Amino acid sequence: MSEKFKVLYYVNQFFGQVGGEDKAGMAPLFCPEKVGPAAGFEGLLKGAGEVVGTVICGDNYFNENKERSLEFILNVIKEQAPQVVVAGPAFNAGRYGMACAELAKAVVDELKIPVVTGMYVENPGVDICKEKAIVIRTSDSAGGMRKALPTMAAIALKLGKGIELGSPEEEGYIPRGMRKTLFVEKRGSQRAVEMLIARLKGEPFQTEMPMPVFDQVNPAPAIKELGKATIALCTSGGIVPKGNPDGIQSASAQKWGKYDVSTREALSAPDFYTTHGGYDPVYANEIPDRVAPLDILKEFEKEGLIGKVYQWFYTTTGTGTAVSKAKEFGTQIGAELKAAEVDGVILTST
Amino acid sequence: MKKLIITNNPAVKEKFKNVFFIDGSPQDILTKVRDLVHQGHGLISHPLSASLRMMFSPYRTVVLSTKKEQIDFFSAEIIEDSIIKYKNHMNYRKIDNVHSEDYQVIDILLLEAALNEDTGSW
Amino acid sequence: MEGLSENKLVWRNKWGVDILKLEIGRIYIKDIQLGNETTVKNGILTVDKEGLITKLKEDERIKDVKIDVARPGEKVRIIPVKDVIEPRVKVSGGVNGFPGVTAKQAQCGDGVTHVLYGAAVVTVGDIVGFQEGVIDMWGEGARWTPFSKTFNLTVDINVVEGLTPHVHEETVRVAGLRAAEFVGTAGKDIKPDEVLAYEMGSIFEESAKYPNLPKVIYAEMMITQGLLHDTYIYGVNAQNILPALLHVNEELDGAVVSGNCVAACDKITTYQHQNNSVINDLYAQHGKEINFLGCIMVPEHTTLGGKLRASEYTLKLAKMLGADAVVISEEGYGNPDSDLLMICKKCEKAGIKTVLITDECAGRDGMSQPLADTAQEAVAVVSGGNVSHVVTLPPADKVIGNPEAIAVLAGGWKGALLEDGTLMCELNAVIGSTSEIGFHNVTCRLY
Repeated sequence: MSEKFKVLYYVNQFFGQVGGEDKAGMAPLFCPEKVGPAAGFEGLLKGAGEVVGTVICGDNYFNENKERSLEFILNVIKEQAPQVVVAGPAFNAGRYGMACAELAKAVVDELKIPVVTGMYVENPGVDICKEKAIVIRTSDSAGGMRKALPTMAAIALKLGKGIELGSPEEEGYIPRGMRKTLFVEKRGSQRAVEMLIARLKGEPFQTEMPMPVFDQVNPAPAIKELGKATIALCTSGGIVPKGNPDGIQSASAQKWGKYDVSTREALSAPDFYTTHGGYDPVYANEIPDRVAPLDILKEFEKEGLIGKVYQWFYTTTGTGTAVSKAKEFGTQIGAELKAAEVDGVILTST
Repeated sequence: MKKLIITNNPAVKEKFKNVFFIDGSPQDILTKVRDLVHQGHGLISHPLSASLRMMFSPYRTVVLSTKKEQIDFFSAEIIEDSIIKYKNHMNYRKIDNVHSEDYQVIDILLLEAALNEDTGSW
Repeated sequence: MEGLSENKLVWRNKWGVDILKLEIGRIYIKDIQLGNETTVKNGILTVDKEGLITKLKEDERIKDVKIDVARPGEKVRIIPVKDVIEPRVKVSGGVNGFPGVTAKQAQCGDGVTHVLYGAAVVTVGDIVGFQEGVIDMWGEGARWTPFSKTFNLTVDINVVEGLTPHVHEETVRVAGLRAAEFVGTAGKDIKPDEVLAYEMGSIFEESAKYPNLPKVIYAEMMITQGLLHDTYIYGVNAQNILPALLHVNEELDGAVVSGNCVAACDKITTYQHQNNSVINDLYAQHGKEINFLGCIMVPEHTTLGGKLRASEYTLKLAKMLGADAVVISEEGYGNPDSDLLMICKKCEKAGIKTVLITDECAGRDGMSQPLADTAQEAVAVVSGGNVSHVVTLPPADKVIGNPEAIAVLAGGWKGALLEDGTLMCELNAVIGSTSEIGFHNVTCRLY
């Protein structure tokens, strides 16, 4: 087993040292050198593996031309025939995370080559690929690079040699969501009694079956006089005015927009369309009101069912948007609506 | 209290009154039960059995109460969860038709136990 | 009454309460042989085969009995298993056998009981065609069941024709218990290798003794839903009971009997009632970390009304006893999950801390969400493993029971029975594999 296993590395334009946001539109290219994090990676493989090259792709390009990008990158991988593909780490960068995740999923599904990547736990890419690839847990910014790379390399080393991975805690990856059946030393009742005693003493204990935690939102009190209420319309369905004047991203939104609809009866085509990259846009583009029903609200306003439709319509793209970003958007939009004494909001998603 | 028995078990249809018989799969039964719960019927018996083996059964019988004005949200939650759980199992498995006669008998016996248990009425 | 402090006697006088004191004497069994007498000599249990058959055939409903022995390590498969029972004999106090079922009513949990430790009676016999439940005595299969480590006396019961399913089930159930009783008598005059003492005073007494220890209750859920899905306490079908409080000694001494034969992996066999691991492990901490108050036997009903009633009644009993915490174990899978979470939610809301023991169905690949009806209150859960985990069982040299039942095990999926006789089945077919009273040491971890 003196032969080294081959690793192919994927990075975005920034970590590929091409440029920043201005280069985010670059098409993927293959570079036979070790670029950016790939440079130090080989050393971490302790002589057992070698990095055979780096694929660099702009984040915007990848997300807006997913199929084309994947086709190119998968072809490179087929040619290079690595035993392991490494992508990122993407930390909490949404678009980079989505690119790593989509790539990882495609490589595992189509080429059956294992992939290791790294992300902050809230990165929207995590949920896309954690079942398929090994995603190590990183901090939320590139400051965590020095810590992330050895963890990723240790996993790549095992994947390259075909050694079974240990538990997520031991190896530092985000659980794939697989319930692995195994034997333990103590019988179940013993573990239960120990858990009970720990609970009673207020000591830390670990459940063997974590329940999913849902963010609970208490409903707001009902609007008493709807006929006098001002209602705003807000969507994460990506409906924007023609030309997308604020450049709201089609995925992993970094911003939201607001548009004056006080003189409009509806969000009609072609003045509005969707920029959302996560669903089939045909029906939304035909009648954008299908996603954000301004037409009906205006009818209700005329009928006196509601007092008034708020002047501004708020919009962003939900797909791949980090939870932290979404919270930030929500807080900002909520503050504006509150300041404007809006009584209620219709929120639509897709 | 009047009860409504939803079943795809022909033996239940023979033996009991107030039977809504569906010539379909256990999945069809659960779906129908859900629809009826959404219309205001409450669950008297739990829609699932107590063991994995019984999930293979080609027969399923569920007892519902008569229709009310208000939807019983507890029933709605339980039937939704049951459908998820049932599907989760049958993704992997096939219904055991070889022993369908035995399943028919056990289904009816478990139904009788449930009816005996629910003595409440008004 | 030696060993009681004066202080204790004062309490007894004050409350007029008797203590249950149980001594379990374990006689280590190293092999089982079939012969002409029923004895234990140097750890070898010899069973009078013809005598046992004659004894069991006293029940006219039994047509044929086949007796065999399966030893740890032998390439033997037992299928379909109905129940497993530990052979025992009452030496003093109470009555021999299972009060209310095979013997007249008596108080369980008091006196001296001898156990043929390491031996088990395994009843075989299908009441319905889809019954499963396998014990492999060797190899891969042996790892998954606790009953591959016991010397098993198998009792295969064939009944006369024309019995109703209820009568058929009862016949096989009682035959197993009577066989265990018959075999157990061999230990009556043998000096045990190990003696375990179980002594517990009244709740008031124990609480006075350990005023600073948290009070803990064990809520043991039992399948009680109809034929093949039943449990009996002192012979009473628990379908019709309100949750009942038991002294911690009673179940360990034959008060509870299994009539459940469809949930192979997570049913509580009679053997597991007799050796309930939760009771034993809580007992071990009594007076040290906890004050173990007692067991609440909780029926699992089929109706929602029954489930609400049983869960509320359990909470009420726990409150009446002033419990600080409760261990809740489940039996079965499907509708009992609702009971488990109802009891958990109600206790947690009332400030009683819970630990649950259950098993999970995460699909063959382990990627499915285990519990559909989740509760955020269920913060401390012990998992007995994934019932859908696939195990590969090589062909046996000898099958005790009904070889045709092996096809049932395959669970109706393609490719489960390979040409060379190798069987792929889910853990749910293996007796005791994912025990929800934590009898076995299988679990699941998030990977």
